[in-house]
Amino acid sequence: MSAELTPLRWPGNWKDASALTLLDDTPVNCLVADKGAVPESVAAQARQKGLPVVDPAAPPAYVFITKGEWPGVEAVQGDTVVAGPTGNPWVDSNGWRIRLESVRHPGARVWVDARPKGPVSRDSYPLALADSAAYGGRWIISLDDRFAAEVAQGKADALAAWKKITAAAKFFADRKAWCAYEPEAVVGIVSDFAGDNEYMGSELLNLVARTNQQYRVLLKDKLSPASFANLRAVIYADVTAPGPAVANGIMAFVRAGGLLITHPKWGIVPGMRASNQDNDRYIWRTSGKGRIAFAKSEFDDPWAIAQESVLLISHRYDLLRFWNGGSVGSYFKMAPDRKRALVQMLFYADRGPEDTGVRVAGNYRSGKLWTLDGKDSKITIVPQKDAVELHLPTVAQYAAAELEV
Amino acid sequence: MHSNYTRRDWLRSASMLGGACLAGAPFTRAFAAPAPTVPVSVARCRTYDPKELLPVMARMFDQIGGVGKLVKGKTVAIKINLTGMTEWRLGNLPVAETHFTHPAVVAAAVNLIGKAGAARIRVIESAWSTTDPLEEFLLQGNMEPLDILHAAPNVEFENTNYLGKGKKYSRLMVPTGGYIFPGFDLNHSFADCDVFVSIAKMKEHTTAGYTGAMKNCFGNAPATIYGDGAGVDEPSPTPRGGRGSCFHDGLRQPSKSALQEKNTHTPRLETYRVPRIVVDLVAARPIHLAIVEGIKTITAGEGPWAPGAAPCSPGVIVAGMNPICTDAVSMALMNFDPMGDRGSPPFENCDSILKLAEDIGIGTRDLKRIEVIGTPIKSAVFDFAKIRAARRANQLQQQPVKRG
Repeated sequence: MSAELTPLRWPGNWKDASALTLLDDTPVNCLVADKGAVPESVAAQARQKGLPVVDPAAPPAYVFITKGEWPGVEAVQGDTVVAGPTGNPWVDSNGWRIRLESVRHPGARVWVDARPKGPVSRDSYPLALADSAAYGGRWIISLDDRFAAEVAQGKADALAAWKKITAAAKFFADRKAWCAYEPEAVVGIVSDFAGDNEYMGSELLNLVARTNQQYRVLLKDKLSPASFANLRAVIYADVTAPGPAVANGIMAFVRAGGLLITHPKWGIVPGMRASNQDNDRYIWRTSGKGRIAFAKSEFDDPWAIAQESVLLISHRYDLLRFWNGGSVGSYFKMAPDRKRALVQMLFYADRGPEDTGVRVAGNYRSGKLWTLDGKDSKITIVPQKDAVELHLPTVAQYAAAELEV
Repeated sequence: MHSNYTRRDWLRSASMLGGACLAGAPFTRAFAAPAPTVPVSVARCRTYDPKELLPVMARMFDQIGGVGKLVKGKTVAIKINLTGMTEWRLGNLPVAETHFTHPAVVAAAVNLIGKAGAARIRVIESAWSTTDPLEEFLLQGNMEPLDILHAAPNVEFENTNYLGKGKKYSRLMVPTGGYIFPGFDLNHSFADCDVFVSIAKMKEHTTAGYTGAMKNCFGNAPATIYGDGAGVDEPSPTPRGGRGSCFHDGLRQPSKSALQEKNTHTPRLETYRVPRIVVDLVAARPIHLAIVEGIKTITAGEGPWAPGAAPCSPGVIVAGMNPICTDAVSMALMNFDPMGDRGSPPFENCDSILKLAEDIGIGTRDLKRIEVIGTPIKSAVFDFAKIRAARRANQLQQQPVKRG
C-alpha cells in the first residue's frame, strides 16, 4: 500500500456491503473503523475491492493519526457567542497539528480524526477535508449519522453533498506535486512541543497561524543551520532555558541578522548591547547583526505572544496580507525550483467573502485560481513593489492561487 | 486677514465669555462679535503623484498665508483619518483611495511643514481597536510609513487610541464648558503639541452627515476611556471596539477617572450627541490648520460599511487655518449647503457640526464671509448632493452598521 490513501471512517449505520458502491469512482480507497466495527460481510467485500480496513488504534507505519477539531468558525457554544480575544470569531483548524506531526513523523502521512459532534452543515464537510489536505494531511472522512443514513438511502441532496466531498478529495489526490512544495516562513517556532511545553508550543502554532503569519515548526532537538534558512525571526517560549546546543544554534541565527523573541528564562547574556526600542512588554538587545526581544515577564498568554510577534517582526515582512478576507487561513508554499508559488486559502465561514484581496510577497507574472470542484480560473494580478496583489472572485470554502514567477 | 488662532487665544477669548456658557446657555446669545473667518484655499489635484501633489499643496499653503509663522520651531501634531480596520476595503480599492487620508497627502504636508521649520512633527491617529504602532497599522493597509517618516526631519508616529508613549493622559478642557463633555482625557500628544493639524478625507458620514477636518477629531478620544471596552473606573490598558456605547448612544459613561457627561438627561440619540461631542473635542483641542483631501474618496458615508458606498474622484483639496471655514468650503465643493442644519442634506437626520461649532464662536460657515483663494468653488464642485439624493430616493440608505 502507498501512503496516498484517502480514508473514510465507515459509518456505523452502513450495515450493508452494498454501501461500498458509494465509493466507486471516488478517491476513497481506505476504510477506517475500530476493531470489529465493520460487519464481516462488508470487510470481506472491501478486501475484494482492494480497500484496506485500518484500525485507528494500529495504523500502518506510514500513517500517523492525530485527534483533531471540527474545523470552522465557532460562533455559538450553548447560549454563548464565542469569540477570540480580538472579538473576531474563534476559528478551529487542524493545520497546525498536521504541520507539527508531519515534522515529528517525517515520511508519514498525517491523518486527522475529527468527527462531527452531531449533525453539521453539509457545506462544512469540504472545509473539513480541505483544512487537512491543504496542510499535507488527510482528514478521515467522517459523516454524521443522519447524513450517512441519507447518503445510504440515496437521498438526492445527501448524495449531492457526498459528491462534493469526494470531488474535494479528488482535487487533492490529483495534486500530489503540491506536497513536494516547500513551506515559506517568516518566523520559526522552536520547542519540543511536549510535556510542560506542549500547551504553549501548540497554541503558538495555532495562534500564529490565525494571524496568517507564515511559520516553520522547529523541533529543538533537530535544529541545524538549515532550520533557520530565510527566516526573519524565531520564537523560543519553552519554560526552561535551552541547552547549549540549541542556544548556540539560535544565537548564530541572531548574530547573522535574525530576531529572537523569548522570555526571561533565556537569561540576558552579558555583553549584549541594549537598543533603544524597549517598550512596555519587551527589552531589546542586539547581538551581531541581529536583535533579541526579551519579554519583561514570563510568557503566559500565547495569543498575546502570537500577536506581538507579528509586530516585533513587522508587517513589512508579511508574506501574505489579506483584505476583506473574513475568517481566512492560509498556507504559502513554493515549488522546489522556486518558479511556482502556491497560496492556499481556507475560508472558515464556509464561504469566502466578496472582494477578497491578498498581497503575496514576490514578483509573479501569471497565475490561476483553483477551487475544490477542480475548475481553474484566471486571477487578477496587480503588480506592486516587491509583491503582487490578487483579487479573488467569491469562492466557497477553499481556493488555491498557483502563481508563476 | 487670516488669523493664527492658538489654543492660548482660544482660552483667553473663551474665558471672557465663559459665563455665558454656564448651565449650557447657547454661546451665541452672548457672542456679539461675528464668528472668525479666514481665507480658504481650494485646488484641483487629480493624482497622488508627489510631482503633482507637492507643488499644489505648497501653493495652497502660500495662499492661506504660509505655515512658517505657525510652525517654525514648534512641535506639530498632525491628526490623520484612518477610520475602521485596515483589512476592510471597498471592493478591491486601496483604503487610501476610499476612506483613509492618503499617505501621499500626509507626506506632502509633513514635507512642507518640515521645510517651514517645524522642530518636531508627530503624525497621530487612534488606530481602530489596537495598540499597534501606527507604522504597523499603515503597513497592514498597504501604505508605506517611511514615505511619511522621511518627508521631513524629526517625524514620528503615535497611536493615540490609548496611553501610548505618555506616562499619563492629558486633560484638555472645553473652554466654553462643552455641549456634552466639559473636557477630555486624551493621549499626551494632544497636549504636547504647539500646533495641531487635522488632515481629513472629504466624505459624507452616516451619523453626522458630513465628515471633514472637525469630524476627524472624533478620533482624538482614546477608546481606552471612551470606547465600548473602556475600563469602568480607570482606562483600560488597550482599546476595544469603537465609541458607540459612550459617545454615540450615551449608554455608558467614560472611565470614572475622566470627566463625566455634564447632563445625562440630554437625548441619547447619536444624531444629537455625535455632532456636539465633535465640537467639544474641537474646542478642547483647537485646530490650527485644516486640510480636507478629496482627490479620491467615497460617497454615501465614512467607510466601506456605509450602505451604498461607492468610489469617486472629486480631484480637489481644501486647506485653511480655521476648521469651520475649511469644512464649509469643503461642503460647498460637495454641493451641500454649509448653512444647512438638521433637515437639509446631508443633515437630514442630525445636527450640523458646523452650526454647533459656529454657535460657540470657533468660526463662520457663511461662504459670503469666507474668502476662497485658488480654484473657484463652482469650477471644482463634485456633486455628492445629487448622488445622495438619488441614493436616498432609491431607498438605499440604511442604518449604519459601524460607528467609530
